[in-house]
Amino acid sequence: MINIEIDGKHIDVENGCSVIDAAHQLGIYIPHFCYHKKLSIAANCRMCLVQIEKAPKPLPACATPVAEGMKVFTASEQAVKAQKGVMEFLLINHPLDCPICDQGGECELQDLAVGYGGSASRYHEEKRVVLHKDIGPLVAAEEMSRCINCTRCVRFGIEIGGAMELGQAFRGEHAEIMAFVSDTIDSELSGNMIDLCPVGALTSKPFRYSARTWELSRRKSISPHDSLGSNLAVQVKNNRVMRVLPIENEEINECWLSDKDRFSYEGLNSAERLTKPMIKQGGKWLEVEWQVALEYVANGLRQITHESGAENIGVLATPHSTLEELYLLQKLARGLGSHNVDFRLRQSDFSADSKQTGAPWLGMAVADISLVDRFLLVGSFLRKDHPLLASRVRQATKKGAQINLIHATDDDLLMPIVNKEIVPPTEMTTVLAQVLKALSTIKQATLDTSVQQIVQSVTLSAIAQAMADSLASGERVAILLGNFAQQHPQASQLQLLAQHIATLCGAKFGFFGEAANSVGGYLAQAVPFAGAEHGMNASTMLTAQRKAYILLNVEVELDMQDPQQALAAMGAADMVVALSAYKHHATEYADVLLPITPFTETSGTFISSEGRVQSFKGTVQPLGDARPAWKVLRVLGNMLNISGFDYNNSEAVRDEVLGGIDVSAKLGNALYDVSAQNATWNVTGLQRVSDVPIYATDAIVRRAASLQKTRDAATPRALIHSVELEKLNLQSGEMVKLTQGQGSVRLSIIADDSLPRGVVRVAAGHTITAELGAMFGTIRVERA
Amino acid sequence: MEKITNFFKTFLLLELVKGMALTGRHFFARKITVQFPEEKTPQGFRFRGLHALRRYANDEERCIGCKLCEAVCPAMAIHIETEERADGTRRTTRYDIDLVKCIFCGLCEEACPVDAIVETRILEYHGEKRGDLYYTKPMLLAVGEKYEEQIAKDRASDAKYR
Repeated sequence: MINIEIDGKHIDVENGCSVIDAAHQLGIYIPHFCYHKKLSIAANCRMCLVQIEKAPKPLPACATPVAEGMKVFTASEQAVKAQKGVMEFLLINHPLDCPICDQGGECELQDLAVGYGGSASRYHEEKRVVLHKDIGPLVAAEEMSRCINCTRCVRFGIEIGGAMELGQAFRGEHAEIMAFVSDTIDSELSGNMIDLCPVGALTSKPFRYSARTWELSRRKSISPHDSLGSNLAVQVKNNRVMRVLPIENEEINECWLSDKDRFSYEGLNSAERLTKPMIKQGGKWLEVEWQVALEYVANGLRQITHESGAENIGVLATPHSTLEELYLLQKLARGLGSHNVDFRLRQSDFSADSKQTGAPWLGMAVADISLVDRFLLVGSFLRKDHPLLASRVRQATKKGAQINLIHATDDDLLMPIVNKEIVPPTEMTTVLAQVLKALSTIKQATLDTSVQQIVQSVTLSAIAQAMADSLASGERVAILLGNFAQQHPQASQLQLLAQHIATLCGAKFGFFGEAANSVGGYLAQAVPFAGAEHGMNASTMLTAQRKAYILLNVEVELDMQDPQQALAAMGAADMVVALSAYKHHATEYADVLLPITPFTETSGTFISSEGRVQSFKGTVQPLGDARPAWKVLRVLGNMLNISGFDYNNSEAVRDEVLGGIDVSAKLGNALYDVSAQNATWNVTGLQRVSDVPIYATDAIVRRAASLQKTRDAATPRALIHSVELEKLNLQSGEMVKLTQGQGSVRLSIIADDSLPRGVVRVAAGHTITAELGAMFGTIRVERA
Repeated sequence: MEKITNFFKTFLLLELVKGMALTGRHFFARKITVQFPEEKTPQGFRFRGLHALRRYANDEERCIGCKLCEAVCPAMAIHIETEERADGTRRTTRYDIDLVKCIFCGLCEEACPVDAIVETRILEYHGEKRGDLYYTKPMLLAVGEKYEEQIAKDRASDAKYR
């Protein structure tokens, strides 16, 4: 510890700490632009100049390490004179367009200019002009003359985003920030550059000129998209969500936000919003009152229960629904007598149901990811599925963590990968078994009988050995399974093998989790095996077609593992009740559409993948006649005379679910009574590999206009290894017909040699590919 | 002594004479009553009457939608909505002043960085039903167009004091 004195106050700080950090610990503010606590030190704005005893000239506080007995004066005559001088220089080239600048009102330069700037400029020459740039649909760089070259955006790209997408070109007077390599910013974290920019050079394109910062009220909320549970500040004007900013939470999202969380709000005000209950009569949709619609639903459900039994009702919900919604939905279903309720829509392997020690979760705290020194990532589109968790993993690699990756595609994770094995989905269990085999040799452990058979049947590869060596050499190891592994047809085998690998190397073991409430769904008992009696899961509910379906927020052709099967089941059903915030494809197969509200218009709770329970309140009034789903379900429960549906508020529902229980005790990734067999899953010909593109995961982002203009939301194409392409006698770029089951679609096919042989990669969750079948399995490719 | 002077004042009706002298002076003085509306009092160039939105000489509207007037308005009489116009500039899609709320303090004029919103010399306007005094953007622009000459002259006279 080093003792220093700042403005007469003494403080003990760590060796290597900078003067600005020490001052902040004391609560002394030193003006700065380029310094940011999460980024490296650049010391190029010079705003933080302070006087230090015995130093001949003022020194930048951000780049000056503390020394024993150092005396710092932040507001002495010399320091203030230096700061005012710097400010005058910064303002020389800064345009005076604050009135039209979106940063006006929350601008660091504007704020500091009040304190340090002169009342009039002494500079009368021409100002520097930097041409505007178009760097994509999310970040506006229309007024680059405002840039003060602090390079925060550049450093963010390199250090947090993982790729240098913006850079500073030229020197001196001609220095300017521009997009490097490609001419757009395609990072899934690009929105953070808007927050980082201390001036109005980088601003939000969707928000552009729509409101001023002082008009907005700021309300807390929780992200409904990925499983991280980012804390949001939803900014509202006139009962309309105008933009979303991060709320700093060091344990979850730090001070960042993924673009999905930040820009998805556009989907909330989409023209597709459903604002009136609707009933289909004689093939036509009629807008009706809530009473009429709910009575229609209640009568229909009663009739089906009476005539063909309650087990003929299937209930599906997305994992993006709140805990309260999921709980009331399953309570309603079970009250009717049906146990067919599920929220794991994209899962295909349910053989581990009720053989799980708890709800699958991350297995560790999010903050601990940065401390891990060995990762084994299995089946995860990490960057696109969990942008901020990927950033945490990236930070860990900076500290020397090694990443071992087993996956079916080789997308660039923008971080160093030590060992990777890119194999078709059918071979993923084999690779894991090989790693387990190698590890058991290293650790000289006898394997559990449940995995012995599969381990004996595999022959060890060099890469599996390398992975095992890497894992065995670590002190804090994490085995993490991604969405792809959870959706995999052999998910339970992957889980079991990963579990044994984790046991052998004393690792943390968990799932990244697909959606905001993937953990909450289990705690809300929205799974078919939660009750005394077991019902049908999301897949069997569709194969064994039910007479009636209740859909909560589900767009079956986009949210389900097998859209073909789902649409067939919906088409054959006598009654489909869709609770949805949007008017969507359900108009084709549903009988009733009940308008419910998205997360900004309801109160609720999400349980993130680390098991963190986060409740939020509604930020705006419901649009039109839409109502929070928990209220709709409550009324429906009362109408159907199911007891226990008298809740006064959503908190009462939450307390009924979580009251008196320890959430952490309900989490668990271990399987029992499951044994891994030899890979029995055979695919003839080519097999499909599908990801759910980052901006196609849920109903809200699918309607966020600006996100849909990004490269990540481009029209899906079929990707295939060039050798396979040659075998098929096709050219890259050609239109082909892809067939799965009865359905086929036309897409252009592109050669991608990073894919393993024998697979075709086609995105799911997209209207264009909705005609296809399951996300895994055989797919036929023909010339169109 | 005082008693004696008071006695003579009362006796000689001195106060009455003084009062009548004042009355008499005003009786013959020039009248200041203005026969409105046939006659009008002179107005200063800073007179704060009806609002107007101005245009530049090339017909481009001045207002850039910075909303400083909306923010400064103590009566919250101004309502503005903005968006990016096709040419990329920041423009208002809505600029309303509720003249019933307005207290004619002139702060909007003071706040405006481009002299777009101004208060004119016009004070003779009225509304016949509720809502007539809710001035929208086209109405304000129309006022500006009609009186631009006078508005510009008044701003020029005031310029040297700013």
